[in-house]
Amino acid sequence: MRRAAREVPRLLVSARSLSGVTRAPRERMLEITARFHEPESLAVALSKALDAGAAGILANPSRLMRAALSELGRVVPMHAVLPDIPQVDLADLGPGVDGLLERRRKRVGSGVRWRMRLSRLRRLPGYAAGDMAARLAVLMEVEARALPRRGTASVVIASAITDLALATGNRGFFERAARYMRRRFHAAAGFETANLGVMLARLREWEGAGVDFVVGGVNPGGLGMKPDLATTLRELGSPPVPVIATELTAGGLCTLEEGVAFARQHGAHGLAPDLAEMDDVARELRAMGAVAVPQPATAGV
Amino acid sequence: MNDTSPSDGLRVGVVGLGRLGIAHAARLGHVPGARLVAIADVHGGARASARGMGLAVPAFRDVRRMLARAEPEAVVVCVPEAQRPAVARAAIEAGRAVLIEHPMAPTLDQARQLVRQAAERGARLAVAHPLAFDPVFAQAAAFVATGALGRLTNASASMFLSRVFAPRAARHARASGGVVAQVASDLLLVLERMFGRPQQVRATWTRLYGPHEDELHGTLHVEHRGAPLAVGFDASWSAPGYLRAATVIELHGERGSLLASDDALEFELKDAAGGMPSGYTRVRAPGLPHVATFDLGGDAPWLEDAAFVAWAAGGAEPPHAADAALDVERVVDALYRSARNGGAAVAVGEP
Repeated sequence: MRRAAREVPRLLVSARSLSGVTRAPRERMLEITARFHEPESLAVALSKALDAGAAGILANPSRLMRAALSELGRVVPMHAVLPDIPQVDLADLGPGVDGLLERRRKRVGSGVRWRMRLSRLRRLPGYAAGDMAARLAVLMEVEARALPRRGTASVVIASAITDLALATGNRGFFERAARYMRRRFHAAAGFETANLGVMLARLREWEGAGVDFVVGGVNPGGLGMKPDLATTLRELGSPPVPVIATELTAGGLCTLEEGVAFARQHGAHGLAPDLAEMDDVARELRAMGAVAVPQPATAGV
Repeated sequence: MNDTSPSDGLRVGVVGLGRLGIAHAARLGHVPGARLVAIADVHGGARASARGMGLAVPAFRDVRRMLARAEPEAVVVCVPEAQRPAVARAAIEAGRAVLIEHPMAPTLDQARQLVRQAAERGARLAVAHPLAFDPVFAQAAAFVATGALGRLTNASASMFLSRVFAPRAARHARASGGVVAQVASDLLLVLERMFGRPQQVRATWTRLYGPHEDELHGTLHVEHRGAPLAVGFDASWSAPGYLRAATVIELHGERGSLLASDDALEFELKDAAGGMPSGYTRVRAPGLPHVATFDLGGDAPWLEDAAFVAWAAGGAEPPHAADAALDVERVVDALYRSARNGGAAVAVGEP
């Protein structure tokens, strides 16, 4: 079947720090959490980012984020990282889907539980056999509640899930999960990773495995770039799928300007600077948007 | 499903396929010199999940069967706390190297028996304490060992996180304890590497939500460079605002001070010493060497697995070897005894 092509964005504003994902010094994290505690203040920052050239938002569709988006009163392309759960809770639940699925099942109402049951029945053989992609699909029935009604440009699977499948070399997971996400959400399928070099090498072997794009760290410090900086840069030179670069300041090791230049120089397709990495969202994003960019990559959806 | 190609290396089995066991099993495929050869769990659902995640190695219900059939040379024990001693004993009896999650047993007595048994059998036993492998805290311990700070006059350490509703297992009355036993014993191992085993401790605790402590505030009395030193120790998993666990060690000595946190190492030295220049120096955590080649929960767990595998294969003893870990369990036990007695001074060691 012919798939429509959708452009992978060049510039996003990331709010992953609000879930404790983007690395920043603790004081900065506290400052950001306090600053964007209210949806109105987050909405102002997002509005400035969009006006300054950001093509959308990379974030968990948390209650705070949804409230901020509704404050904006316009459709904003959302690159929604799922599952929507803070990093500290993900660390407690461990990698993969099962712990989260168990927690969600206990906390949802009867309507969602019914949808989860239906989804499970539809995939019963795979689900019963422990297939991680089948279980992810059931989990996504809960997570889907958090997605905005309009504007979901892509769904990005969080690194806690991606990296487990990557560690075990589970090609089938990526193929099935990407196919499911495109069909279920009519959106591109992205995968976030803390092991960008490993991920790109695998996807090259697997001829992309149906993945539309990857979100991962690109910075001079090598943060989020396992197995090591040199290997990751080599892979970035001709990546099998477009890469949206995060962790641009390497947790404060370099300036955003240096991180952006580094990511562009080494082949990142798009950039997703985080709110925690910017002091003046409008000015810094405008500067990034002003730089000429090469031909756009496309994701099949 | 799993297309990772098997390679030569230490044959490792993982017992207990909860969150920790899955993480170890997945990581081991990226640890040089290690080869995952088997997994085991009494629950069929857990074994099926593990297979579905891509762990395509033989899965067993019973640890003894796994030892006999798959013949792992090393075993990682991640079963619930109450079952750890029995599973570890089975592996030790078979002469295998063992990495066991902490706390290694529900009681100090059981932990002592396990360590004794490992010593008698000549089996290598290590206890998982990943913080000791975190690049910041490993470097801090190495710096203190150089004596560059001179005689210490003031020391404190803390570990805070916001997970009070999350750790269901630790809420269980049969768990050996709360925030200190389950989480902050990691920090105690780092402190022990810096100062050795405390002679005496005092502590008070607060229970907010369950049968075990949610906060503990104590003092560890150690001897450092021939002089007594009181090390403040605070642990809480009920502190709001910690999206990530925050660990801090602050040391002041006659020749300078050191602040180690998850963010950075900060030195203020009167003279150049221990490889650092005089004056103030800040080394950010991301700027330290990060040699782990796969991140599944951070660098430290990978480094910990790698150190265990290297030891089991005949390499150097790692910091989380059984004797040091048993000392940590002795300190935890003493802190709890002190807290139960309203903060009385309690000697650390054999009760």
